[in-house]
Amino acid sequence: MTTIAIDIHDVHFTYDGESFVLNGLNASIKPGEFVCILGGNGSGKSTLAKHLNALLLPDKGTVSVCGNDTRDESLMYLIRSTAGMVFQNPDDQIVTSVVEDDVAFGPENLGISTPDIALRVKDALAQVGLMGYESHETNALSGGQKQRVAIAGVLAMHPEILVLDEASSMLDPRGRKGLMRVCRELNEAGMTIIMITHFMEEASCASRVIVMEKGHIMADGTPEQVLSQNSLLDGLNLEVPFAAKLSKDLQDAGIDIPTCVSEESLARALSPLLTHVDQNASSEKTLAAAGSAQSEANQNQAAPDLAQVLPQADPLILFDHVSYTYDSAAAKKAQKKHKKRKPAETPTAERAAWGRDPEAVWALSDISLSINKGEFFGLAGHTGSGKSTLIQHMNGLMKPTCGNVLVKGMDLSDKKSLAAIRSSVGLVFQYPENQLFAETVEADVAFGPRNLGLSEDEVRQRVAQSLARVGLDVDEIGSRSPFELSGGQQRRVAFAGVLAMEPDVLILDEPVAGLDPAARRDFLQLIARLHQDGLTVVMVSHNMDDLAAYCSRIAVLNDGSLFLQGTPEEVFLKDEAIKSVGLGLPAPQRVAHLINQQGCALPVDRLYDETSLVEAIVRIRHA
Amino acid sequence: MLNGFSFGSYYPGDSFVHKMDPRAKLTFGFIFIITTLCAGHFVALGGIAAFVVLFYIASRIPFKQCLQSVAPLMAIVLVASLLNLFMVDEGETLFQLGIIKITQGGVYQCLFIAARVTLIMLTTSLITLTTTTLNLSEALEAMLMPFSRFGLPAHELGMIMGIALRFLPQFMEEFACTYHAQMSRGAGLSSSPVKGLRMITSMIIPLFTSAFRHAETLSFAMDARCYHGHVGRTRLHPLAFGWRDATSIGVVAILIAVVVCLNTFVTAPVF
Repeated sequence: MTTIAIDIHDVHFTYDGESFVLNGLNASIKPGEFVCILGGNGSGKSTLAKHLNALLLPDKGTVSVCGNDTRDESLMYLIRSTAGMVFQNPDDQIVTSVVEDDVAFGPENLGISTPDIALRVKDALAQVGLMGYESHETNALSGGQKQRVAIAGVLAMHPEILVLDEASSMLDPRGRKGLMRVCRELNEAGMTIIMITHFMEEASCASRVIVMEKGHIMADGTPEQVLSQNSLLDGLNLEVPFAAKLSKDLQDAGIDIPTCVSEESLARALSPLLTHVDQNASSEKTLAAAGSAQSEANQNQAAPDLAQVLPQADPLILFDHVSYTYDSAAAKKAQKKHKKRKPAETPTAERAAWGRDPEAVWALSDISLSINKGEFFGLAGHTGSGKSTLIQHMNGLMKPTCGNVLVKGMDLSDKKSLAAIRSSVGLVFQYPENQLFAETVEADVAFGPRNLGLSEDEVRQRVAQSLARVGLDVDEIGSRSPFELSGGQQRRVAFAGVLAMEPDVLILDEPVAGLDPAARRDFLQLIARLHQDGLTVVMVSHNMDDLAAYCSRIAVLNDGSLFLQGTPEEVFLKDEAIKSVGLGLPAPQRVAHLINQQGCALPVDRLYDETSLVEAIVRIRHA
Repeated sequence: MLNGFSFGSYYPGDSFVHKMDPRAKLTFGFIFIITTLCAGHFVALGGIAAFVVLFYIASRIPFKQCLQSVAPLMAIVLVASLLNLFMVDEGETLFQLGIIKITQGGVYQCLFIAARVTLIMLTTSLITLTTTTLNLSEALEAMLMPFSRFGLPAHELGMIMGIALRFLPQFMEEFACTYHAQMSRGAGLSSSPVKGLRMITSMIIPLFTSAFRHAETLSFAMDARCYHGHVGRTRLHPLAFGWRDATSIGVVAILIAVVVCLNTFVTAPVF
């Protein structure tokens, strides 16, 4: 075994011959390391990844993998099987329709004997925790499972190095956790892991972090060394992990703790500095102090929300016992039953009607909720919980199998009101930039208004306005092709296309999925601004911090049913319930729980944000 | 929208027929179709039907499943047989209305064609019911391989077919998503032809761009996993002939003999 897994020496690379994406890069990675490479969009990190297994060759300088120079063509297949690569989009790297055939694809190409391939496939699937999935169809797997199949496909080539190029960026939190666990297990078994990511939680699990910017390495060291450099990371469009941010805040507030990268270590570091709960309840003073702080905070938080929380306020979208199934036969049966039983109808009896039908798969079951004018409504739930089905009911793309959906008092089953509803409810799908089609940005944004039959003058006016609302200038980019724009700009154009319909409600399905931290922040601010300008916003998100920070009310879906509903405080204080459906808590609340578990007198019966958590911690520190 | 979508209507199982080599199945299916076309009368067709039933029993496919897979194709049977009913002018006239004339020979031909086409449908759907699309494309690739010395890219054709089948459900899903997204932007609200055209482009272009995007990464991903054509490539499941295929050769030989005998010794009715 060589002592260096990957050696990168003075690597330069350019796609167009002018601007260098990699600009004199030097790094060496030892066997068994777990390296995270961080960087904003356009920092050159994906280009670097492709150099690690000879998919791209340096224009100047050398890359060697286990001592083999990537420029040596005779070693190409050896290098590619030594340094296996997993790509970002799970759908783009699966070659065949059946799991075992896909895992076998690599070894088949290497000319391994048939019995040996079968063994390798079995082992590789076991390593990623997918035993028994051999004959499953790849298409029917979840995103996280697909990525694990992709890893198994690489493992079956018996690599020494595993390169993951933003492999988790399109996964939900559950899929991301599974992927991370697999990587850690592989690393413990001796595999060198190189993970390119912009998720800081992942970076804090690594043994080494490299930060890239404009083709250079800006920082290189342990997570503690690198991730605590707030000013550096901020300048590079990256996000500081919450634990590091909080340690900094606490230091500013005069608490003497080191900058911690992981939340657990922060809680441990804080523990000796804080007042602990006494068994014989002698610390009445601190409890009282904390208690008064709590009620004070409650008043502060609850007051502005109250008007929005009242369900009678002004329901814009109303779901009345809505159920939906994709199984049309079952749907007919249910509708028939529903009609027959119409007289003596009670909600519980109705629930039993579909609850008893074991064959029917209900994507939504008995959902009742109202979204009021001016609200910022959050929808959470893991993949497959029915969120997408729910939002497609909001503008009549889907019709409920049972129950009614009313938008502005109009019934969605009424065909005449459909046109009015489509224009007043704007729906932005996941990765909306994938739906761009026109030759120019202007024409793409004008698609909606033209469909409404508006005059050309009015169309032009709306295009300019809606582009301005997403921070783009019609004179500057209006005549350019949407496909020339950067990813973030494309998404803005797609947003503008929906805003040009001048909707009252904006429904967003994972609006910031796949963006880097800086772009995420910009987009969330953009959405908050649209909300302030009077739009009612419904946002589907996996990110509990975003939901807690922006929403006035949150609904949590689980297996097609409404699991929890209320203000962020009402929802996130039920931490056990939230965890039971595979979701997490917002970071400040998570840290509060960790500190509380250390035995400190920090109450967890209220919802913290960053500022209030710092205040509460300062309040309970030792005199 | 996509629920219940199953391409090639594969019915999972591990019966005698399921385990046959797909190349053998394709060849035998071909022979069955030829013999069915050669059969001159109902008696010979009956002989073939007996063999088809035999293979269906060996495949352990439920009767209902078999009907379900053939049912959508019955329109073809209907059209073919009705054409014969009105076109064939042989023997006694049974019914006449203007130029429409139905004869005894016409009725016979109509029923005969219906039976013949149904048999062919049953044979082909037995193959698709018992063979995965992947195996089918591999068999096709293997059977085209001899032509590769004349420049036919057999392996590439097989690979293309495999990847197409892999991405078909994916594109269906993406298309559904684009369709919904453009509907949300008011597409389909009016029926003017100009807007109709714009609506179609708004759905087709994203499909193309997504296909290109997928293709770009897929080619990287295949390169990264050392793909370099079929030279030196091995298989997890190499195609191999076995005793089942040998047995079937016997059965098919008997079938041919039976049909030839019936065709020679039993004469077709003359009108």
